[in-house]
Amino acid sequence: MAIKLDYVARETAHSLRRNFTLSIASMVTVAVSLALVGSAFVVRAAVQHSTARWTGDVQFIVFMKPDASEAQIGAVRNALDPAKNNQVAKVVFFDKARAYKEFREVFRDDPVLLSTSRQSDMPTSFRVKPAIKNAELINQMGQQLKQAPGVYTVEFAYDTVKQIERVSKLVSTVILATALFLLAAAGLLILNSIRMAMFARRREIEVMKLVGATNWFIRVPFMFEGLIQGLVGALPASVAVWFLGTRINHSGGTRSSVAILQGLYVSSGEVWAVIFAMIVIGCLVGVIGSAVAVTRFLDV
Amino acid sequence: MIKLESVSKTYKGEVSALEDASADIAKGEFVFLVGPSGSGKSTLIRLLNKSETPTSGTIYVAGKDIGELSSWKVPFLRRNIGCVFQDFKLLNSRTVYENVAFALEVIGRPKHVIETQVPAILELVGLAKKTDNMPHELSGGEQQRVSIARAFVNRPLILLADEPTGNLDPNTSVGIMRLLDRINRTGTTVVMATHDRAIVDTMRRRVIELDHGRIIRDQARGVYE
Repeated sequence: MAIKLDYVARETAHSLRRNFTLSIASMVTVAVSLALVGSAFVVRAAVQHSTARWTGDVQFIVFMKPDASEAQIGAVRNALDPAKNNQVAKVVFFDKARAYKEFREVFRDDPVLLSTSRQSDMPTSFRVKPAIKNAELINQMGQQLKQAPGVYTVEFAYDTVKQIERVSKLVSTVILATALFLLAAAGLLILNSIRMAMFARRREIEVMKLVGATNWFIRVPFMFEGLIQGLVGALPASVAVWFLGTRINHSGGTRSSVAILQGLYVSSGEVWAVIFAMIVIGCLVGVIGSAVAVTRFLDV
Repeated sequence: MIKLESVSKTYKGEVSALEDASADIAKGEFVFLVGPSGSGKSTLIRLLNKSETPTSGTIYVAGKDIGELSSWKVPFLRRNIGCVFQDFKLLNSRTVYENVAFALEVIGRPKHVIETQVPAILELVGLAKKTDNMPHELSGGEQQRVSIARAFVNRPLILLADEPTGNLDPNTSVGIMRLLDRINRTGTTVVMATHDRAIVDTMRRRVIELDHGRIIRDQARGVYE
């Protein structure tokens, strides 16, 4: 037996109208919690971009000149080899292709710069994770390499970069934990609003069961109601996160006068992925909340 | 049509509502369940449409052991069993027509079936002129007729009636009994729990008497006592 769509639509609309205030409460809670979840992820992504070069305890980067010879690169590689130099824990070599890819990412909102640079212009580099903790010694090691033939410059990780990474990690964890509690609250609110809706119609449900309506026939309009509540809550949250994404790209990025914000950006793909995830989570919270409500109610 | 094999039902704790009840009801029979309040009549009715499950024993409906029935099949069992209650169980926000149509709607009957069946059954129960009235605009007897129409519109094999005349005056009750008798004559098995001595004594049908959950009498063409 197919459940008629117009029946479900009619019943759902009727029920949402009847429980207007409780429905609004559920939707607002879903919206706030999802907005927090989404923002946490977007901010995390932005900070990760700005500190990407320094992840994994990279303390300094040795940039080679674009025209450095194979022999010169080989010499530096040899000097940094963890097998031969016990001051080095790990080293990663970025060739021209990899460097060009990163360059295009960082300067993606500067079309003039992108169109005038080619892959062959890119400097190759070594990202070095030292085995020693002493800042003085690390500095010394970097300065020595600066003198080597073919080396263009050596860039050190600033403490501020590390600090920003740590703070953002902490903040986004706190936000996520709060958001999870709020999401659980949203689920309970939806569960309650569906239960109220079912209680209001318990007589009808009793008759439906009596004349042989299937449980699914009784359930579906209520589950649909929960789904709508989750979905409608996710929409304003999505708008908020999209807005946050554009704000980050507007005030950060290469145009920013604040050095640390220069690498701060989120790609539109990342924002859309977060929004998609939020909508899915919103729907899930709604469906699960209402599913729990209807199973409890239809227990006989 | 209905067969009980030493059926017992004990509610939470020790209250024993039905004890070792066995009976065999053939297709097309009309059976009165009599006995004082709390003797197990309603429990027996509720066991038959699987609103309750027996603590022990087996119940067959239309040749099938309904204890074996998986829960998703119960609605399909209930489509073959019409139910009528003392308190009518009508939906007060719907008209007479809508109340009866509702029963067909929720089991997914197509519109054209509903549009022909509902007026026909309302004609049968004598409410053809009240189709658009609300339940509160009807008398008790009329409300019970609506509820019988709803129970019978799907042409069930069995009609269960739990004190259908319990809220009605004697004259009105006679009308309701005539209607149930007519339904029974179409071949529908009717099981009716009642307190009403006058009705049982005039109808002279099979009587099953319950007392403290036990069947103490099963008599063809019986009287109340």
